[in-house]
Amino acid sequence: MFKLAFKNILFYKGRSIATAVLTFVSTMLFILYISLQDGSHNSMLENSLKIYTGAIEIYRKDYRDIGGNEYLIQDVKAITDKLEKIDAIEEYSPRYETYGLLSNKEYSAASMVAGIEPNKEKLLSSLESALIEGSFLDEGSANCIYIGAELLKKLKLGIGDEVAFIGSASDGSFAADMFKVCGVFKTGSFEFDSSTSFVARSYFDELMNAKNRASYITLKLKNIEDADKVNEQIISMLDDENLESLTWKTLMKSMVEIMEIDAVFGYISLSLFMVVIFFVIMIYGFVNVSSRIKEFGVLRCIGLSKRNIFLLLFYEIALLSIFATLLATPIAAYICYYYNINPIVIDGIADMYKDYGIVSDEIPFDYNLFTIGWNVGVIYLLNFLSILYPYMYINSFRPIEATRHV
Amino acid sequence: MYKLILKLAWKNSFLRRSRTLLVIIMIAVSMSMMLAIEGIYDGMVENMVDKNKRSDSGDISIFAKEYRINKDLAYMIKNADEIKAQIENMQGAQAVVLRVKAEGLLSTARKSSFASVVGIDLQAEERFGKFSEFLKEGSIDLQKQGAIVGIELAKTLKVGVGSKVVFSTQDIRGEINSIALYVRAIVQTTNISLDNSAIFIDINQLHKFLGTDSKNAMQIAIRGEDKELYGKLKIAFANLDVKSFLELQPMIKQMQDLMIIFNSVTFLIVMGVVFIGIFGVMYVSILDRVREFGIMISVGMHYKYIRLQIFLESIVIGVLGYLSGAVLGAVLLTYLEHYGIDLSAFSDALATWGYEAVIYATIKVSYFTTTLGAIMAASIFSVIIPLRKIKKLNPIEVIKAEK
Amino acid sequence: MIKLQNVNKYFFKGEPREVHALRDINLSIEAGEFTLFGGSSGCGKTTLLNIIGALDSCDSGKIYLQDKEIGSLDEESRTTLRLNELGFVFQAYNLIPVLNVEENIGFVMRLRGFSDKEIKQRVLEVATLLEIDNKLKSLPNALSGGQQQRVAVARAVAAKPKIILADEPTANLDSNNSKILMNMMRELNEKEGVSILFASHDELIMESVRRIVTLNDGAIVDDNEM
Repeated sequence: MFKLAFKNILFYKGRSIATAVLTFVSTMLFILYISLQDGSHNSMLENSLKIYTGAIEIYRKDYRDIGGNEYLIQDVKAITDKLEKIDAIEEYSPRYETYGLLSNKEYSAASMVAGIEPNKEKLLSSLESALIEGSFLDEGSANCIYIGAELLKKLKLGIGDEVAFIGSASDGSFAADMFKVCGVFKTGSFEFDSSTSFVARSYFDELMNAKNRASYITLKLKNIEDADKVNEQIISMLDDENLESLTWKTLMKSMVEIMEIDAVFGYISLSLFMVVIFFVIMIYGFVNVSSRIKEFGVLRCIGLSKRNIFLLLFYEIALLSIFATLLATPIAAYICYYYNINPIVIDGIADMYKDYGIVSDEIPFDYNLFTIGWNVGVIYLLNFLSILYPYMYINSFRPIEATRHV
Repeated sequence: MYKLILKLAWKNSFLRRSRTLLVIIMIAVSMSMMLAIEGIYDGMVENMVDKNKRSDSGDISIFAKEYRINKDLAYMIKNADEIKAQIENMQGAQAVVLRVKAEGLLSTARKSSFASVVGIDLQAEERFGKFSEFLKEGSIDLQKQGAIVGIELAKTLKVGVGSKVVFSTQDIRGEINSIALYVRAIVQTTNISLDNSAIFIDINQLHKFLGTDSKNAMQIAIRGEDKELYGKLKIAFANLDVKSFLELQPMIKQMQDLMIIFNSVTFLIVMGVVFIGIFGVMYVSILDRVREFGIMISVGMHYKYIRLQIFLESIVIGVLGYLSGAVLGAVLLTYLEHYGIDLSAFSDALATWGYEAVIYATIKVSYFTTTLGAIMAASIFSVIIPLRKIKKLNPIEVIKAEK
Repeated sequence: MIKLQNVNKYFFKGEPREVHALRDINLSIEAGEFTLFGGSSGCGKTTLLNIIGALDSCDSGKIYLQDKEIGSLDEESRTTLRLNELGFVFQAYNLIPVLNVEENIGFVMRLRGFSDKEIKQRVLEVATLLEIDNKLKSLPNALSGGQQQRVAVARAVAAKPKIILADEPTANLDSNNSKILMNMMRELNEKEGVSILFASHDELIMESVRRIVTLNDGAIVDDNEM
């Protein structure tokens, strides 16, 4: 059957070429489309994640839902002592966040002001690497404020300028101080750069009466893929129902979900192409088979079983599919690899879509052999499904009827 | 004569019923899926455009020259009320509203967040963009320190209807000032910047709070689809910053352009593959009947009639496929236009990104007309190569082949 | 009616495999003839029939139909000639599968623009003559080989051509059907006065015709009235 299938492929060139070309095109389309989709999603997530959000963050329960000073973590040391024992944690730091008003003589703006441990923050987030002017904070920074570039613009400040801060401290009392702009950062996230600023905890804790207190503790893991596993470890180690430990998937839930929706729409669009191509491959297969009814009739008369007929069709489509995918897969995979290393750059796209959290003009492809593998698998599946109807059609004729078919 | 040819074309189209039906089903399924996808994507963009226009910029917005770069109280449109009255008398202007805006800090007892206060005239906004349709919770009412909050801002601050909030900012004199407000309603405009950070209060109350002149405004928003209106406004108010909707929302313009490109590429690919499908079937069908065509030429049928017959065969398949696809597509689109795709399970995420939980499709006549043209073109072009084979046919060779 | 003067036909002219299919053919066919072009396989009888039937052109010489020179006509004109003056019966695959017997018989008449009434009348006439009037609504695939050939003859004669050319019409028929077909064709020839030219080596046809033109190696070697 295999030999016969091979000869049929060479004999019926038109059908073979059409099927091979369609399979090639659909394989390339599928792999590249999914790669681009996954790549851009992963990039969006990674870029947003590395700016500030931790792989895991520990909160007092209800802090995120209700908020307020009652739900601050009151004994940070007790928690961090336990975290020291978990090997998978690379670094951690407690952050104290509050909202206040920053003003100079003429302008004012609302800002989240966060007290951070600068040395640890260098490892935990991209705050330091986002520096564009001045200098990053250190433990002795005193009343230096590290401010987002868009916020700086709003307030019309420069390096060395003073800015007044008004807010409320962790005990509810009024807090006010003068900060000096020592550094400016630009992460690319418009929302972040226009509404956040940072002060060293060593200074901020005094002002906000926040020693040994925190809004939450942020963690960096040695391997982010272990987030779920490590999180369970933390939960069992903390053993405190008043605390909750959340992975980045929960923290960035809305972004993850919107990507899922985007992916669904992507698959819907892709499925349109796949359906059309599937139909055409099936039609070509059917036409090829229906013009050979006499031939199949003769074969069945001389003793070929239905199983053999199926094998024949199966080998034909398998050979064509394998040939086409063997050609398409390395090409598509190389394109994915290349654009994974050298992402496509669309100037201005980050600025255009800043409201949607796009921070970078780069759009990388995803290079994942598993994904490429299942993409190719789907193509094979569709191709194999396309022989079902032709097979049923052949078997609808009795052998002797088939030999007389015109 | 032509009746005979049409009859031949019709009968030959169904000579191999299964084959023909497969092609018709292929065209119908591809076409209806494509129309549904097009309708959904266009619907999403149109919905976004509509909501943006109704909640914010209108078709045209006017600002003071410096305002868009420096969102400062100093850059207000002077005598905005007179300008509004002037515009209302212009041909093509359907509705005009004035808005006052300021950025600051919105706080509850527990949380604070960056916010943008927008002073509006509720009745005017209702005429302008049916503001009440954005309502998610509560009642649209700004009386007695009432405020309407954007849905994401409400989530951030954990406020609901009846909550008390305090808005603080610098007023016109540069003093930090605060105002206590009571949340009367929560709205979802799907305009991200509004849903994430807007708090709407009465415009006069905001003037009083900021210490600004009630004749002035930050923004004059105009609804009016008259294409000449924009030009007229640009000339009449050359000292102000007159911007069209797409100029203010380049991202939406780009989304529209991307959607057109995406739909066009999809269309071309799908029609291209449909062409390949029809071509394959017609090619084989014609090759199968080469002897028949040879006989017909031998008995005196001119090539032009055979060509016409073959074109008609292909067109019959194309038309039947199109009609099936059009009916199926129309049903799908009508369903999606009325019931939409329900993504309520993701409503939180969708709201964050400016989408509603249910996405409705739009139906345009152009979907059907362009597809008809494409399918007819595919049908006609698909038989050109087989026809060349027939034209070169030597009847004698065909007859010889019989022996 | 038909005159051939020094007609020559080559296949693959100028190539090593060149075949001189017809050599200096001089022939006259009168109206009402019932003639066979006979000879062994490859003698040129089919080629001669094709040239007379304007299906092929000659390389040299002249062919006249009703004193009109047809040898140098272009393809379009030859098609028109075949439509208006000639009728054809082939060995097999004569009929259009999607048309029924009535439509097949009336096909050439319809191409020539006869009215519905004329077509209906004439179709019934020839169908009756060929004893297939009870099969008018049947499709070709419902007919036997012999019936199919009779339909082909009916179509050929329905439009009242001057000449009918039949190439091996009995080759796919059994002897009984062949006899029936030949009897009917002779009857048509006598009743309608249409010339019928055969190319065949079937002995039954030889016995039926009134003139046999024998070819050998592309040349006429014998021309006998029976």
